[in-house]
Amino acid sequence: MTTEAPRSSLVRNALVALTILGAAGTALVYVCEGPARFWANWLVWTLFLLTVGLGNLFLVALERLVGAHWSVPMRRVPERIASLIPLAIPLLIIAFFGVPVLFPWTHAEVAHNPILVAKAPWLNLPFFAIRLAACALVWLLFYSFYVRGSLRQDQSKDAAFTVKARKLAPLFMVVFFFSVTIVAFDWISGLEPEWYSDMFGVYLFAGTFLSGIAGMALGVLGLIRRGRLPDVKPKHFYNLGTLGLAFTVFYAYIGFAQYMLIWYANLPEEVVWFKHRIEGAWYPVAMLLPLFHFLLPFFLLIGAVGKKNPKILRIAMVSILFAHFVDLYWLVFPVLGAQPLFGWPELAMACLFLGLGLLQIRRAMGRGADMPVGDPLLAKGLEWQL
Amino acid sequence: MKSAAAELPVPLQPLELIEGMVTPGSLDDQVLQFPDRRPPRAWYFALAVTLTALGIGGFCMAYTLYYGIGAWGNNRPVAWGFGIINFVFWVGIGHAGTLISAILFLFRARWRNAIARFAEAMTIFAVMCAGIFPVLHTGRPWFAYWLFPYPNERGIWVNFRSPLVWDVFAVSTYFSVSLVFWYLGLVPDFASMRDRTAEGIRKRIYTVLSLGWRGAASHWVHYDKAYLLLAGLATGLVISVHSVVSFDFAVSLVPGWHMTIFPPYFVAGAIFAGFAMVVIVLTVVRKTMNLSNLITDNHLDTMNKLILAMSCIMGYAYFMEGGTAWYSANPYIQHTFKNYVSGFYGWAGITTVTCNIIIPQLFWFRRMRRSIPAMIFVALAVTLGMWMERFVIIVISLHQDYLPSSWHLYIPTKIDFGILLGSFGLFFTLVLLFARVMPVIATSEMKASLPGAQAGHGGGHE
Amino acid sequence: MSSTTTTATFAVLGLYSDAQKIVDAAKQIRPRKLGRLEAYTPYPVHGLDKAVGLPPSPLGKLVLGMGLLGTILALLLEWWTSAVDYPLVVGGKALFSWQAFVPVMFEVTVLFATFTAGLAMLFAFNKLPFFGHPVLHSKAIKGITRDKLALSIESTGATFDPEVARQALIENGAESVEIVPIPAWDRPLSLVGLLRTIAAIAAACLVAGAGLFAAEKMIPVVPPMLHMHNQPKLNAFRSSTFFADGRGMRPAVAGTVARGHLPPAFATPEEAGTMLANPLPLTQKTAERGRKVFNDHCAVCHGTVGDGVALLSHAYGAKPGNLLSNEMRARPDGYIYGVLMLGKNAMPSYAPDLDEADRWAAVHYVRVLQRSQNAKDEDLR
Repeated sequence: MTTEAPRSSLVRNALVALTILGAAGTALVYVCEGPARFWANWLVWTLFLLTVGLGNLFLVALERLVGAHWSVPMRRVPERIASLIPLAIPLLIIAFFGVPVLFPWTHAEVAHNPILVAKAPWLNLPFFAIRLAACALVWLLFYSFYVRGSLRQDQSKDAAFTVKARKLAPLFMVVFFFSVTIVAFDWISGLEPEWYSDMFGVYLFAGTFLSGIAGMALGVLGLIRRGRLPDVKPKHFYNLGTLGLAFTVFYAYIGFAQYMLIWYANLPEEVVWFKHRIEGAWYPVAMLLPLFHFLLPFFLLIGAVGKKNPKILRIAMVSILFAHFVDLYWLVFPVLGAQPLFGWPELAMACLFLGLGLLQIRRAMGRGADMPVGDPLLAKGLEWQL
Repeated sequence: MKSAAAELPVPLQPLELIEGMVTPGSLDDQVLQFPDRRPPRAWYFALAVTLTALGIGGFCMAYTLYYGIGAWGNNRPVAWGFGIINFVFWVGIGHAGTLISAILFLFRARWRNAIARFAEAMTIFAVMCAGIFPVLHTGRPWFAYWLFPYPNERGIWVNFRSPLVWDVFAVSTYFSVSLVFWYLGLVPDFASMRDRTAEGIRKRIYTVLSLGWRGAASHWVHYDKAYLLLAGLATGLVISVHSVVSFDFAVSLVPGWHMTIFPPYFVAGAIFAGFAMVVIVLTVVRKTMNLSNLITDNHLDTMNKLILAMSCIMGYAYFMEGGTAWYSANPYIQHTFKNYVSGFYGWAGITTVTCNIIIPQLFWFRRMRRSIPAMIFVALAVTLGMWMERFVIIVISLHQDYLPSSWHLYIPTKIDFGILLGSFGLFFTLVLLFARVMPVIATSEMKASLPGAQAGHGGGHE
Repeated sequence: MSSTTTTATFAVLGLYSDAQKIVDAAKQIRPRKLGRLEAYTPYPVHGLDKAVGLPPSPLGKLVLGMGLLGTILALLLEWWTSAVDYPLVVGGKALFSWQAFVPVMFEVTVLFATFTAGLAMLFAFNKLPFFGHPVLHSKAIKGITRDKLALSIESTGATFDPEVARQALIENGAESVEIVPIPAWDRPLSLVGLLRTIAAIAAACLVAGAGLFAAEKMIPVVPPMLHMHNQPKLNAFRSSTFFADGRGMRPAVAGTVARGHLPPAFATPEEAGTMLANPLPLTQKTAERGRKVFNDHCAVCHGTVGDGVALLSHAYGAKPGNLLSNEMRARPDGYIYGVLMLGKNAMPSYAPDLDEADRWAAVHYVRVLQRSQNAKDEDLR
């Protein structure tokens, strides 16, 4: 456990100041720019924090599911970043109050639209709230089980927890896939409720997984730089680069497949969603995605060098996280209009959410040991060879 | 260092991948003996059965060539019937082989070593079976080379915007890459066989096939790199090939076909069906060739876990398909999905869901995963279910789409069934011949992971 | 072991069974610089390549480069064929529909990369196939491809001392040592042999190519492929056993009127003369069109100047009308049109052969002929 050095309390104070500044700015946004822009920003940032947190929790469970050893020494990092989940859930619940503002299916004119009337059994506020509550509940339950359980294991050194964690992992996977799909359909594609794409859940999953890896890698590299993970060697985080490469390609594949199929058939009810996002002023934003979500990380991570070199790995992961944010912005903001809005409101709310997120992660970084010292597989993980 | 493993509770201990004592020499003797021995009578009997099936299929293919595609059950609107169903089915079966040999190699899952060679061989045979169908279904297969873009006297080119042309590139690339990958893996094993055989024609053949391989460390450096690169390329390829096959359907406007989830859904289904076939073949092979100490119950258990995982992914995909069909509020899509489970072909949809989603859930239970009869039952169900799934997608969507005046049933003919039977005959004939003539386990890969094979820490575990 | 210093030595092999021992031995022997260090193993031993001093393989960069080359070539092929050489709008999409080009680009990338990986590894880096290597003809090779690990100190020239090498290997735990001589033949791969092989392969390719070409030409016209041509279906230009009249083609139903060929409203040419006037103005173009029509259809009987004397006049008993006669000149335009439409005596109706414009143009030309054969002086000015 590191003691609070003067430098780190400076960082903490800076983050708190940033958060307070952001909160003030956020309140101003609501008053000056109107509820729509306020809620759009709120939604994008909440989704960003939620998906980074869920992605990290997924990595924790995935390690249990496949019985991997190489990631055990680093596992405390994603467990800590998953603490974004208990932060994002209240934010998401608050975002529920923005649903009547942003989502057209809540508006009165729905009654005249036969398509939306047909979808009403799913697209109605009570059922929406139930789904939100159910997702929040299962996320919190699994977060508590995996993360708190792992922290407790530091003291108890009880191998039974690892066995139980492995047994529950498949159930987590089922729950995870369905809950991410619900988030995708409810919170993102519902913004244009006449549009549908059954790949969309997988699309959000790809971005979630990638941002999980990016967060984990940046966290691991950050701790190594501070000397807090002396036993974690390049051979360990090499695989993070490999996974990053593989899922960068996977994301590009899913994104391209969805786009190409809709482009090819050219059905009006499907194409209009893309039209809103790649025509006119949105085109440059859309172009950021293939560049930072695919091309840059792909070419950085394809060589063996890139996966072992912390500098290159860091750039690739930052690119992925940045692109994931742009992705969420690009998915949500077109509901506000044909012009991509970016100004002081976005910066102000960025301050608030970045501040909250970083403070939460920082707090988590202080909890427990830097490696899961109670895990019986830790020794095998440390001695693991490429 | 090994002490860490000894302290672990039983569920966390690494899987034993080899039963009993195995040394590189005993491995060679056990695996490489078969090309030198006469096969047992059962092998000849099995070959007779598969050759009969192949013969029936050959007759039906000749019949098709002679009388044309009218011999099949295809009609308007169901212009794609058994031909495409069988094509997608066999290409899918091939994917498990590449997954095992390439993707699991990238994940450094050592349990793949004992089964990778057979799985790769099955890939190549499955792709060969698959290739028959698009070639035959063109109606004039002697012009099949028109599918490739070459400068010709007609002055035209293939239509690169058509997913059928993408298929041509994808499947031919998949076949060539799989062949290269398989052959490269065989080179060191051919060298072993060359040095075990006495002088004669066999030794000459192995000498040529082994390319003069001598196991030089300077060669292994490049060989390992090539193998790693090929594994990465084959991984991307396997995902792209079945995605391109799914594009055949998904780019169209047919209700039930134009669903964006098709690419990963098809890939998952392919891996699912392929694993089932691998399980069926390996349970038989390990028994008849006495390889149970190398292809252990743990191997089968792990494969069955993967089958279960794929079944869950398929369940997610079916749920998304049905759910989005409802969510779309599109009456044509909804009508098609109703037809999937009710109406004239409703039995096909019910069979699909039962065989693909419900029956594999048996594999949650460890006893089921380790019981040979149970896993053969599940694997056969999955094979049937996955074939039926392609039937459901193709026939049910086509037979009643937008215009009621075009609606028409599809009844496959005896020739259709005959060619399907023949494709199974071809596949299993090739499998039998492979087992007779070539090393069925990649001995050089296995040797590298035996206990004591490497300096410092041993292999033998995951 | 007898002294082999009289025969040139290729290498000294030390055989091991334990991976750790061979790696340690390599690490010990390498700094002594006794010769070129190599190892022969039935499977890749981790760490042995570094111990022997082998650099990592550059295959990765080569494969990446070739893969990208494949991407670009595929894109160029698709773009050129679809947007330049034979531009065809398919599905309403742009000629350069890059979205549709991506799958093939990806496949060709993998194809190029794979073949580079496989072929470069074998041919370029490992120089295989090669059947003449001395180790292949050693006693140790049987063990090497089975379960023995061999450390090899290879001769680098005159300074190589096989005895010292042998000592070093035994000191470092070799179970047995073999001295591999340079084989009797000096060049296993001679230039002549290589050329012969290449020539044989080229000849085989030529024969195969010619065979395929011939097959490609022949196969479509051989039954059963020929069945596509001769399908048991009704063909409009062939006889048929299906219809009573034995014809595949069905005649038009009685009273069928082709478009633009409604039956004329007049019953006789005289009636036509009173009913119709030439709707076309007489222009150079009309006259030339009329000339063409007249020469193509009328001149064969009525002669090129319209006087009724033509090439076929003696062949037929009937006498074609003299269009230049006074009687004809007095007839109205509609009369000429009427004769053309209804036919007269032996002349059939030319209504099916000519459309409206052609008919009236021909009428104009007849007038032109009549005037030309009865020209007045002022016409020449």
